[in-house]
Order: sequence, then C-alpha cells, then structure tokens
Amino acid sequence: MLPKTSRESLLELCRRMFVIRHFEESLVPLHDKGVFGGHYHLYIGQEATGVPAISCLRADDYLFTTHRNHGHLLARGADPKKLFAEILGRADGLNKGKGGSFHSVAPSLGFLHSSGVVAGIIPLSTGTAYAAKAQKNGRITVCLFGDGSLEEGAAPEAFNLASLYKLPVLFLCENNGKYGAGRAAAAAQSSTMAAYPLTDLPRAYKIPAQQIDGMDAGLVHATISDAVEKIRGGKGPQFIEAQTVRYPGSETNWPTVPQPTDTSLAWDVGSVPEKAREWYRSCDPVLIFIRELVEAKQATKEEVAGIERQVKIDIAAAVEFAVNSPYPKPQEAERDFFAQS
Amino acid sequence: MISRNDKTSELLDVFRRMWLIRAFEEKASLLYAERQIAGLLHLSIGQEAVAVGACSLLRKNDYVFGGHRSHGHAIACGADINKLMAELAGRTTGYCGGKGGSMHIVAKETGFITATGVVGGTIPLALGAAFAAKERKNGQLAVVFFGDGAGQAGAFHESLNIASLWKLPAIFVCENNGYAEFTPLSAHTKVERLAQHAETYGIVASTVDGNDLLAVRAVMTGAVKKCRNDKGPVFIECLTHRLRGHYEGDPAKYRELAQLLEWKKQDPIVRVERVLRKKKLATSRDLEAIEAEARTLVEKAAEFALTSPLPAAEEIVRDVMA
Amino acid sequence: MRELAYYEAKFEALDEIMASDQRVHLINGTFLSLSPHRHVFQNLKQKYGERMVAPPISELGFCGLATGAAMAGLRPIVDLSTGSFIYEAWPQVANEAANAFSMSGGQTRVPVVFHLFHGLRGGGAAQHSGSPQGMLWNCPGLEIAIPSSPRDVKGLLKSAVASDNPTIFVDHTRLLDIRGEVPENDKPIPFGVADVKRAGRDVTVIATSYTVQVALRAAATLAQEGIEAEVIDPRTLVPFDLATILQSVEKTHRVVIADETHQSCGVAAEVAARIAESGFDKLKAPIRRVSTLDVPVPYSPPLEAHIGPSEERISDAVRATLA
Repeated sequence: MLPKTSRESLLELCRRMFVIRHFEESLVPLHDKGVFGGHYHLYIGQEATGVPAISCLRADDYLFTTHRNHGHLLARGADPKKLFAEILGRADGLNKGKGGSFHSVAPSLGFLHSSGVVAGIIPLSTGTAYAAKAQKNGRITVCLFGDGSLEEGAAPEAFNLASLYKLPVLFLCENNGKYGAGRAAAAAQSSTMAAYPLTDLPRAYKIPAQQIDGMDAGLVHATISDAVEKIRGGKGPQFIEAQTVRYPGSETNWPTVPQPTDTSLAWDVGSVPEKAREWYRSCDPVLIFIRELVEAKQATKEEVAGIERQVKIDIAAAVEFAVNSPYPKPQEAERDFFAQS
Repeated sequence: MISRNDKTSELLDVFRRMWLIRAFEEKASLLYAERQIAGLLHLSIGQEAVAVGACSLLRKNDYVFGGHRSHGHAIACGADINKLMAELAGRTTGYCGGKGGSMHIVAKETGFITATGVVGGTIPLALGAAFAAKERKNGQLAVVFFGDGAGQAGAFHESLNIASLWKLPAIFVCENNGYAEFTPLSAHTKVERLAQHAETYGIVASTVDGNDLLAVRAVMTGAVKKCRNDKGPVFIECLTHRLRGHYEGDPAKYRELAQLLEWKKQDPIVRVERVLRKKKLATSRDLEAIEAEARTLVEKAAEFALTSPLPAAEEIVRDVMA
Repeated sequence: MRELAYYEAKFEALDEIMASDQRVHLINGTFLSLSPHRHVFQNLKQKYGERMVAPPISELGFCGLATGAAMAGLRPIVDLSTGSFIYEAWPQVANEAANAFSMSGGQTRVPVVFHLFHGLRGGGAAQHSGSPQGMLWNCPGLEIAIPSSPRDVKGLLKSAVASDNPTIFVDHTRLLDIRGEVPENDKPIPFGVADVKRAGRDVTVIATSYTVQVALRAAATLAQEGIEAEVIDPRTLVPFDLATILQSVEKTHRVVIADETHQSCGVAAEVAARIAESGFDKLKAPIRRVSTLDVPVPYSPPLEAHIGPSEERISDAVRATLA
C-alpha cells in the first residue's frame, strides 16, 4: 500500500527510491572497470524500507548505518555527487576520500559514523540516544542494521542498555534474507541464529518488537511513524524487523546488475533475464511502489517516467563529477586524525 | 525433600563438601584480613548448594569452568584444599605455583579446567570443551558456572546461540545471587530471570531455588542425563545469595540489613541440616562432627599453605610457554 | 624444484594437516580470503567437512570456543579473516588464551591457531586494514608466525598447529598469488629461525609478510645503483631470531626495518630496539624504520599507498642510511 501522505510527498519518495536504484546500478560498472577498489554492498531491494522510514524522521535525528549505507544516506538526502566521490576515494567525497563505501558519513544529516564491522554501530546508537535523552532535545536515534548483526554479542549488550535506560532509539533491522542466500524459507531456522523469530531477541529485553513486510512502503511508513512517535514520547526503544527479499544482484560476493531498472519494467518484465525475473516481477520494491502510484492515480506512467529520467540525468552528472574529482593530496593521509581543540 | 536417588551416605558426603567450602572460605576470609592473601578475594558463602549440588553429579572427566568466585566449584569438584589454600596465599605449592591466585584456579585432575577474572570469560571456553566432548561421543559434558552479571555480556549471548545451533553438551549454571558486583540485577537488566535468554535461543531452561541442595541436584540430574544423551544444551538458573560482600572488604552498603537477615535464614547448610535432622539421617552430634572435621582439614590446609615457600624471582620467566 | 602459488602451498598445508591430525578443526573458513581461488577451499570441505564449522558472526564466542576446545585437547585453527576482527575477540585472545598457560602455573595448554589476514589490501579503509601483530606481540603467551613465501606459509602453518601455545598466524591477501619453490614433502619450518631472502653486503633490510616481497623489489632496484641490500625475514616474531640479524649487521653496519604495522610500538620499533640494545657497536648509521604511518588507514588509493611501506620508501631509507 501507499504511505498515507500528500501527493507531493509520494512523488518525492518515488524520486528518492529512483536515486538509490540508479546510483547503485551506476556503481557496479565503475567497480568492474576498476575505478574504485575494495568491497562494497548494495541497498537495492530495500528502498521501500529505507526511504519511507527515514522520511518519518526529524531533521536533527541521528542515524547509524553499516557497510550497506548508500541507500540510507541517499534516502536522507545526501548529495549523490559527494557520495560517489567518496566511494571513488576522491577529495570531494563525503569523507574526503578517507572513508569509502564502508564508512560514508554525513554529519549534517545525522549520520555521525558508519561502521564496516557487523553490529559495530549498535552500541554506538545507544550512545547518541543516551546523550539526546540527557540533553532533553527530543532527538531520537535510528539504528539501521542487517539480520546478521543479531549474531554479535554487541547486539544483545546494546538492547539491554537501551531497554534499561529507556533510550530513544529505534532498532530497524533490515532482514534482506527472507528467502535469500544461506537462509531457508522463512519458516525454517537459519544455520547461524537459533532465535526465531528474530523479534524474540529484543522482546527478551522488554523492547516492543514487530515484524513487517519491508517491501510495503505504506506499511513501513505507518509502522515507523507510530514507533517514532512513541519513542519521541519517552516510551523507550522499539525494534522493527523489516523483511525484504534479497536482490539477485547481491547474491554473489561481488555485486552485479541483472537488469538495469526502468519504469517500463513495472508492467512488463519480459526483458529481464529469466533467473532474476521473478524478483523484478513480485519483489522489486521500487516497481511495486510505482505500480501502486499509478493504480491509485497519484501519478501517470509518464509522470513517473519523467521523474526517473531526471534522476538518471542527475546520477550521470554525479558520476561525471566524481570521476573528475581529484584524489586527495598524499599528505592528506597524515592530517585530521586528531581533533584540534 | 530427599529423593529416592539420594542415598544417605551420598547425601552426607555431599553435605560434608558443603561444609568444607564454608570452612575453607571462612578461613580464607581470616587469612585475607591478616594479609596472608593478596589481591581480591571473592567468597561464595551462602551459595554452596549450587556448586556442590551440581558438581556432585559429574564424572571426573567432565569439564567444569568457573568464574571469579570459584573456590567452591573447585572444592565441589574434589580439589585438594591444601593446594587451593596455598594458591590463594601465592605459594609454590599452590595449584598454579602461585601464579594464578584466587581468581585463576585450575585443578585439572578433578575436571575443574579453569576459573577466570573476566566476567563471562569462561562461558565460550566451556562451549569449546563441550564441542570437543561432543566430538568424542563418550558422554562427556561441560559445565560452566557464572553469575547474573555475565548475563549481560555479549559472549554469553553468542555462546547460547552457538550451543543451541550445534546442540552442544553444555550445562550453563547461572548463579543468580541478585547482585552483579555492587549493584542489584535490576540495575543491570530489565530481565528478571536470566533463564529467559536461554529460552530465546531455544535452550531448555529452568529456574530453581539455589539454596536448596536437593532441588539443585534434582534439576541437575535431568540436565546431566540430557547432555550425556546428546540432547544438550541445558540452562539452569539458581536463585541464591552471597552472604558476604562482592569481595572481602566490600562494605556492601547497597544491601539492606533486613534482606541479608532474610537470606541468612535460607542458609543452604542450615537447610540441609534441617532436612537431615528431620529425616533422622543425622543427629546433632553427627552434624557437629562434620563441621568440626571440615574446620580441622581447613586449619591443616592453612598451615600447609603458610609454611610453604613463596616462589623465587627466577620463577617469573618459567612456564610462559609450553 | 617444484613451484607453487602461495595459495596452493597454503591449501596443501591445510590438507596435509587435516589428514594427519584428527584433532585439528577449522573454525570458520576464509583461509584463501575473497580471492579468486577461494573455491579451492571447497575441496577441503568435501574431505573434512565434519571437522569444519561456519560459526555465526560471533568472534568473541567462536574464538573462545576454539580456545576452550584447545584446552580440552583439540587443535583448532580459527579463522578471523580480516585481521582487525580480532579486536572483536580481544577478551578471549589477549586475556584468556594468552594467559592461561602461565596463569595456571604451566598446567593448561592452549594449542589454538588464530588465523587472520592483516594489512593494506586495497580499499580496506580504517576498519579492514589492521595489522594487529604489534599489539599481539605485547601479549606475552602468544606465538606469532608471519610468512612471506609459498614455502614459508606451508612450513610455518604446520609448526603453528604443532605448537602447544596459542599462535597468531598472520597472513596477507597480497601474497596469495605470488609463486615460489615448495619442495615436495618439505619439513615444517621451525619457529624462531629467520631466513635470508637475499644476500648483500651494504645494508640489512629486515622485513615481514608482504613487505618482504616489496623489499626484494626495492633491493633489485638498488642493485642497479650498486647498492647490495641483504633482505632478512624473521618469519616468526615470537620467538624472534635476533642472532641471524646481528650476524648480518656485523657485515653491513646499516639497518632498515620495513613492516606494515603502525610505527609506534609496531614491529619495526621492537626490532630496532633489540638491534640497538644488542648490536649498537656494530652500527655506523641510525636504524631506519619504514612502517605504516601512524594514522588510521585511509580509504582513497593514493592515501593508502602513501602510508604503507612502499618500494620507494624502503629505497629512500636505504639510501639515507648510506648517505
């Protein structure tokens, strides 16, 4: 279903989903050509979780994200030019080339630190929440992490603290393995996590927890809005598990793009390679969202295609910007690792 | 109550061991006050029923892991109290040649593999021993004792997950004495029963009165049977109370006197005595003799310890590598 | 003599170890990293799958598991993959495994191997490029092996598993594809025996891990300028073979130490201190260190290249000692 919000907001959500999608689809060939090195992870397939969820936040809220952070940053409105430049290790990057894909940050948007360590951010997220509570500034913290993080002891340690101190933090677990690699279908337990359902883990700490379909933008929007309101109202932490089906391009160690996205795919997936077709037909959250937009007569197909066209132009410009951005001067490596008082 | 499985002689033996721990630790407390024992000394007075109840059902080749409050576990396993007291006093005749001290006891010949100074530090280690035991398919198992404070450590949760996933023959014995170091459990977690965590990971769990020797033995009997039949792991939460501070010298101002007095009524030794008397399994005289015997043995252990030599300086370079 | 790629030699070692000692278990399995050769590892799985496990992402838990299993008589090799991940397991590695034997008065043996890939690997950024061996060298009780060639990785891995001590096996993904001689039925390489990788008269270059390969390239360049560098690889940090190094210094009177740990309290710092303490009278110039600069590893390629012990930095340091 569609989020219950204005038409303008819906079109903006649509635009941001396209930004994420085309940003990352452009990233894959750059890596394949060796324009940047290191491992990286795609957010594709989770857009209907991140975009509506992050739209529910206040401008001064804190967010923590992981190695799979591009989508979160873009959903929050980070400049694609600077994010591209960062991933390419350039001087104009969000972190001046010192973070890369794993550690891209945008403090002005509330992203203070992105960690490449699984569950590394979960304890940190309780820290900003603790500070906000102490400062009574009404800010909340959203901690975005994957289901694998729950296997780390850091997760229960942090849940315990959040519950104990009634911290204003939303643990948003994006389970992108609903039917994906290494996981049997939802009814079976995973080979690496004995607790099932995953919501039992936070519930043990008396943290209200629910499981939702992360491909349903309207449900995500409604659930997160409600949770955010409760948290801001001083009711302590909440846990939401948003389930998505893993993007077929993320099933290999190095990401691939089985099929470049285009609005037309929402109504005809005939051009998609057969192996990936089912995902695009029924699990692609962006295509689901634009179908719903058109069916609800919030936008015409042409309007949606127009939004997408402009996003593609913007992303192409962002790539151009990043590729032409200079590398930092070597001496930069020796600077900025101690804060100056 | 006394179950049919608890033969009189066995029960008296088990009771003797409880007194041995009590007498040992009371003596250790005195020696600590006299500065014969260095560092920190954590006593388990008031918790003897857990250590003895659990260890009395093990085989010599089972693996037992303790924590920082583990004199009782080692003695319950059958450790030589002479060597134990000597270790506390840092003497060459101690279990670890004086290199371990109170928090790092090892009594391998009894199955007591190691203690640790790190809260929760041995929980994953017990997992490893259980893993090795499972490989051997000979019914061996591993038991780990830890306090409620360890329940908030990541390693605890990771260990429960792995033990459950791999069905390891491990018995997690949580001695919930209500206080993690100096603060009540409620200040550490909103979880009232640590057994709940085990249930989250799909592990069979129960909570028992840890001051009731017979109750501990009953639940432990079932746990041991499960693990020997490759149906582990099992989690046992024993509700108990330490009658001393976190360490010797801790004024324990965080605890109400009334609460302490209430728990003193629940003294596990007194409770067993009551049962033994009521069932006419022992007379007051028998009971006094058991206590006296324990105190005599402990006095001898103290004498052994204090007349043993302290290690020479050259020892520091020895035994750093195998 | 037979020539193998590094990854083949490493795989062969694991295969022979698994075949000859039933106590060996592999806890986690990225021994060939994410390299294109990782599929080779599947062969091991087919043969010894029952002694291999893929634990959850719980370093603290599974390093403790491996340590406890070692106390109970197994010989686990636990793979932490990225070297920095050992920090997640620090309580178990540094405070339990390292201390157990000494703290128990010599009773508890912990024959566990912690395998990890350290160092600059290209785009790893600050959290995936750690070289924790300097910190680990500061934990008495741990042995540290650090191979640089196909022959060494095979021989040292065998000795690591045979050791009764907890051993850190420090590998480097950039070594996986190099080739070199590996005799068939080669003997395990004993710990504490350095190897002179290239003989020379003018300067002693001590290097470890992948930096040995970098130093050899630098030596080849310097040779064209008439400078003959002797390149020595200690192969194990604990135990450390100082004698071989001092013999070389006796001849060259000049020392450059090249290594990927950070400079402060890093491997080069410790090696320099030992040479200064025991061979000061043999030196005609100050010892030079070429370490990773003391900054969190930046992501951007030129920044990353700038901070590491590059061929240029090594060559410059050599020239400086001779100036």
